[in-house]
Amino acid sequence: MCNGGVTSIRLGRVGKAVRVFVALAGIGLLINGSVHATDDAWPFGPMSQYAGAVADDASITYTRISAQTDAGTTVDVPLNIEGAGVARAEIEARTGEIVADPSLLQAVADGWARKHPDQPKYVKLELIRDTTTLVKGRVEGPPRPEVLATWQVR
Amino acid sequence: MSAEVELTRTQRALDWFTPAIALARIAWLRTILYLFVILDMHAFVRDTRLKGEHPGLYQPLFLARLFDLPKPSVANTTTLYVVLIVACLVASTNRLPRLAGWIVAPAFTWWVLIGMSDGKVDHDHLALVVALWVLPTVAPRTQGWKWRREISPYADQTTSEAAGWAIRCVQISVIATYFLSAIAKLRGSGWTLAWPSSAILTWAIVRRPHPVGEWLLHHPWMLHVMQWVGIIGELLSPVVLWLMGRWQLLGALFFIGFHVANTAILLIHFLPTVVCWLAFAPLERIVPWFRKRWSSGSSDRADSAAGSGSDPGEAEHQAEEARQAKEQAGA
Repeated sequence: MCNGGVTSIRLGRVGKAVRVFVALAGIGLLINGSVHATDDAWPFGPMSQYAGAVADDASITYTRISAQTDAGTTVDVPLNIEGAGVARAEIEARTGEIVADPSLLQAVADGWARKHPDQPKYVKLELIRDTTTLVKGRVEGPPRPEVLATWQVR
Repeated sequence: MSAEVELTRTQRALDWFTPAIALARIAWLRTILYLFVILDMHAFVRDTRLKGEHPGLYQPLFLARLFDLPKPSVANTTTLYVVLIVACLVASTNRLPRLAGWIVAPAFTWWVLIGMSDGKVDHDHLALVVALWVLPTVAPRTQGWKWRREISPYADQTTSEAAGWAIRCVQISVIATYFLSAIAKLRGSGWTLAWPSSAILTWAIVRRPHPVGEWLLHHPWMLHVMQWVGIIGELLSPVVLWLMGRWQLLGALFFIGFHVANTAILLIHFLPTVVCWLAFAPLERIVPWFRKRWSSGSSDRADSAAGSGSDPGEAEHQAEEARQAKEQAGA
């Protein structure tokens, strides 16, 4: 088909029907995922990042690893791929395992040493949970740290 | 009579999924999105190969179980990496775009599936993954690998319903990312409207501390305003699909502003979704715009020498462009 010098390519009946069906099916799967499914159904799962409601008196926990280095300093271990090669989400998901077996922290020290051979080595690691308790929806005062596990690096 | 009206209404509703859009927009999207995939593999979903080295934490998601995909290993993630880089580079040149595209779509889907198989799933990849699956459905006008092409794919004003469908699918996925986020927020608070007045952003900032966010912690009312603006914007996002021209641009800018704010407060950028907003942009006008500028630049000098005004061809050209713009606006 041609109009005003611009060619136009149209779809056949079947091509169009199949495409409309696929689009509608996709929308259906997405809505179903948002209403019923979990993250497991990716990419058709719910868009649940930051989707929970947090109460005004909630306790917010934040897990970190503090390290003493052979240079005598105390630092927070950068929990990402470039830092110690492990993500904070992974540490949070495995907190229970680490508390039961602190030797799992050795992998963090090894990861850091491997990725940053020219930086001070970690000699002692502490898995720390900071708890911030909200008062009427506001942060009042500094977080309360609690050492969950300690590991003397080998 | 009413049956006929009903029929045309259904027809129009179906036609909405397949607007006629210039093939040039597909060509631009191919180049941008396939190059973006390469960026994504290094900057965003970048731990897939690392998971091949340490598959200990691998928890396969539903799709991986459904297709019985093998556990990540150094061999298969490295192969996946090389195949993706090569196929993306080829597809981004708009040469063999369907063959290369059909390789990228499943390969990148698997790449992201592995990347998100450690208990944490991000929600910024829907539109990009959908785009990669629909782009290869559009046939280019030049078949096969011809180095010299009669018409540049980036300038091809041929409109196509197949192109329109692919564009529409990306647009729907972009909007779905926002709208379904609002649905998840309603669901997350037991199908109530508790989310926007809750302390969710305070919680998020405490867990991702950085200067802008920490300053905002002293002003919880500002965080509540942002939460309300966010959820209302998300609920109204489908409107953008039917807005035209400047209004649609305003809608797009609102959501891009939303991402800028999110990046400033929480360091969450959502770039894989942001780049897909380009499906709304009339990219097919880039080449004509440059050509016009270039030719009017040279004709201006001729005009001033001749002391005459604009040439009659210009007006006709503008009318034609306006017609095309009207047809394609909002599409």
